[in-house]
Amino acid sequence: MPRGRAWAAPEFRRPAANAAPQSAIQTADVIAGSRLPADEPIARLAVEAAVKAGASYADARLVLWRRDRVSVRDDHVSGVGANEEYGLGLRVLVDGAWGFAASSTVDRKVAARLAKDAVAMGRRSAALRRQPIVLAPAPAMVGEWVSPFGRDPIAVPLQEKADMLLAAAQAALRVPGIRNVDASVLAVREEKILITSEGSRTHQVFFRVMPSLTATAIDRRRGRFASRDHEVAPMLAGWEHVEGARLVEEAPVIAQEALQKLHAAAVEPGLKTVILAPSNLWLTIHESIGHSTELDRALGMEANFAGTSFIKPSDTGKLRIGNDKVSFFADRTQAGGLATTAWDDEAVAAQRWPLVKDGVLVGWQTTRELAGAIGEEASRGCAYADSYASVAFQRMPNVSLQPGPEGYTTEDLINATDDGILISGRGSWSIDQQRYNFQFSGQAFWEIKKGRLRRPLRDVAYQANTVEFWNSCDMIGGEGSYRLGGSFSDGKGEPGQSNAVSHGCPPARFRANVLNIGGAK
Amino acid sequence: MSISKQAARSLTQAALKAATLKDVSVRVTSSARGYLRFSQNQAAASGEAERLEVEVSASVDGRSASVRGSGGDREALARLVAQAEELARIAPVDPELMPPLGPQTYAQVDARDRASAAIGADARAELAGKMLRVANKARLDAAGMIESADVAVALANTAGLFAYHASTEVSASMTCRTRDGTGSGWASAASHRIADLDPTALATRAADKATLSQNPEELTPGRVTVVLEPAAVADLLAFLGFALDRRSADEGRSAFSRAGGGTRIGEAIGQSSITLRSNPAEPLCPSIPFAGDGQPHPATTWIDGGVLKALACSRYWAKREGLSPLPRPASFLLSGGSASVDELVQGVDRGVLVTRFWYNRMLEPQTILATGLTRDGTFLIEQGKVVRAIKNMRYNESPLTLLKNVLALGRPERVGGGRQTVVVPPMVVADFNFSSLSDAV
Repeated sequence: MPRGRAWAAPEFRRPAANAAPQSAIQTADVIAGSRLPADEPIARLAVEAAVKAGASYADARLVLWRRDRVSVRDDHVSGVGANEEYGLGLRVLVDGAWGFAASSTVDRKVAARLAKDAVAMGRRSAALRRQPIVLAPAPAMVGEWVSPFGRDPIAVPLQEKADMLLAAAQAALRVPGIRNVDASVLAVREEKILITSEGSRTHQVFFRVMPSLTATAIDRRRGRFASRDHEVAPMLAGWEHVEGARLVEEAPVIAQEALQKLHAAAVEPGLKTVILAPSNLWLTIHESIGHSTELDRALGMEANFAGTSFIKPSDTGKLRIGNDKVSFFADRTQAGGLATTAWDDEAVAAQRWPLVKDGVLVGWQTTRELAGAIGEEASRGCAYADSYASVAFQRMPNVSLQPGPEGYTTEDLINATDDGILISGRGSWSIDQQRYNFQFSGQAFWEIKKGRLRRPLRDVAYQANTVEFWNSCDMIGGEGSYRLGGSFSDGKGEPGQSNAVSHGCPPARFRANVLNIGGAK
Repeated sequence: MSISKQAARSLTQAALKAATLKDVSVRVTSSARGYLRFSQNQAAASGEAERLEVEVSASVDGRSASVRGSGGDREALARLVAQAEELARIAPVDPELMPPLGPQTYAQVDARDRASAAIGADARAELAGKMLRVANKARLDAAGMIESADVAVALANTAGLFAYHASTEVSASMTCRTRDGTGSGWASAASHRIADLDPTALATRAADKATLSQNPEELTPGRVTVVLEPAAVADLLAFLGFALDRRSADEGRSAFSRAGGGTRIGEAIGQSSITLRSNPAEPLCPSIPFAGDGQPHPATTWIDGGVLKALACSRYWAKREGLSPLPRPASFLLSGGSASVDELVQGVDRGVLVTRFWYNRMLEPQTILATGLTRDGTFLIEQGKVVRAIKNMRYNESPLTLLKNVLALGRPERVGGGRQTVVVPPMVVADFNFSSLSDAV
């Protein structure tokens, strides 16, 4: 039964406090060991050259990524990889238009060329602008920040990682009927120095980890199979979070649940009550509320790719997105949140602010370029670029659902439900380009009858309209049931960029259209 | 500019010279990419990035590891090789590890166009300017993207293999929206040759669709005949391409597994009009002639006249099962006929014309059941004519059903940008399953 599991340190199981995020206790050591400051004069040179060439604003980012992955398939290691990516990106504002140039070669000659190219590009683009881009003012920021971690996940020996994954896979394979197990752990270190022409200089290091385990049960005779994923969330944390997932201990349970899913009863479709566990609901929040409150989308700036939004800036303070039980806040300060930072990629300090209060739209995600469009004087600090070679633009902060004041537990929600389905884990997800119609699946499904979990189900997906769905929400768990979920790879922009982001929520109860997605087999 | 064959050879040789283990391979990817993004009828962002990425894989005694880094000076190369070797020595044994391939013969592929490699910020701005003029004239809100890339990939190993592939890609896409927010149209194009792109024609297509799609009416979701434009066909075909895998079929966890054991190779899985091929040397969509491990991509027929003929098979699985290895292809070609989309529409009594799909996700791998929504131009067809715009709808459907229910195929064309290179025809398909309505425009 999934509901008793936590898999996260206690500080990740609370909504964010309204304060600047804590820096790691090892901050001084991590910063002192960095190789980036040696290239800082080159970044400064790029900014100075851009300003000299006519840029009204310039920022340079030195960005170093390290991604270590170990993968296990059944009884053996199937992949060991360590990827590093490093380079310099320069963004300039010239005659009211952006220009950007980047290179994986970091030297003085290249810095000068990037400045020349970026400024020329900005000038060329200015001829295709109707209005100049104006940046909201921001105070100069100088500082260093390292995301809190217990144990550096990059420094954990390969053998230790592999042994743990192999032991987990073996434990799952020992369950009769389980034919395949895939397990992996991805450890990521992102480091950047940002220099702006307005005097900001920030140096930050982020550690993120993503453990995973999938067991597949196969019924060859009937030609059927079912897979079950461990529901642990990726987190802004060190190796201690991977250990907290207890992959080895949980593997037999995951395996049993894969078997259970293979032999579960098919769901009866129809309009039903669904209780969504945090391990499922986070993604529904991400897609329906997270993306629709991105101001660049609402302004049409993503129209050619990710889409626009069903919400308009003029709806602020008026539009009811959910009933009065429902409040969402954006924050880049949440402990463990994948989008948590001290400063964004425009050196704006991280903050926490409301997006939806008592069901009504009250706020937006913005950058310095966007703030003015809704009459705000300062950016909310949502600028991010996923690499030295990518340009910063508006990306999603952690967006979370406020727990209910009644302090309900998952059990309370189940006990109060006469006829419904409990859905946990991340399955298939799809939503339209204005964020009205969504359809999600999950990992595990339980039929609820008369306040009790009756039997497991299979082939479940739920479909709804965003506004109807959040208006149907009639029970929300309390603070004690709040959990963070998240993803390493939220896609947006052209050329496409990937953003890591978390969403916190308690379990909650809704009405949705339940589908049977089982095939003919 | 991307790295030349000669420079790639000397770079990979320098890396291999630093190797101390017997089995080491180096992959170099060099790219120069530029773009201009526009929205709100004006330039939004413009950028250029040069990257040089080196990936080194080393193996010893059944142990293997790979590392990747950016930058290509000799010191960095030697460091990457040393790192890969160090990791390989301590990696646990992988019983599925295959020895490196020796020299191979590859198809001659002409995928790099000099004029496209020379595209700069001015050329991109000129293309965008032409597209914006169409939208401005039609009083539509426009957003779009122009992207150009000059890319070279080289692969070399200590067993004497050397492979090099240079390519260019130019793509343009545009979304037009009516000012009342009720209509949206999209068009895109991609080629390795800039000369193939007609920005004004593309923009006109997007603008016309936007205007036509205004004030859509509701159609009750259900099973209906559809005319899928090539972009929509490509969206669904992607799920099929991914599932064409021998090992998962043999293991009983694929739509191509046979109940009771074995695969469905030799079985009719679609109408006799369905033939799916891949060929790296196809003139309309040349693609890389070698796979990640250096295996040549052979010209392959995957589905022939509706019959499943081949599944991709790794070298390890091929050896274990006594099969021939076959890498996953870098491109797909679905055969068709000569009819245009308009001509296909003329043959439909009642149906839905779909411009493209969006947010397509696998729902159930057992049957390759996928979900997603129509977007940017969905129309009702009656008596061979497009009669009005209809609201977007969600589908829950499998590409396998498409193959079975196809009624007609049109003229194949290359589908642009952001995915595997594919050439597909527009299709008329019976009983396509739309499951719910969407208010999205």
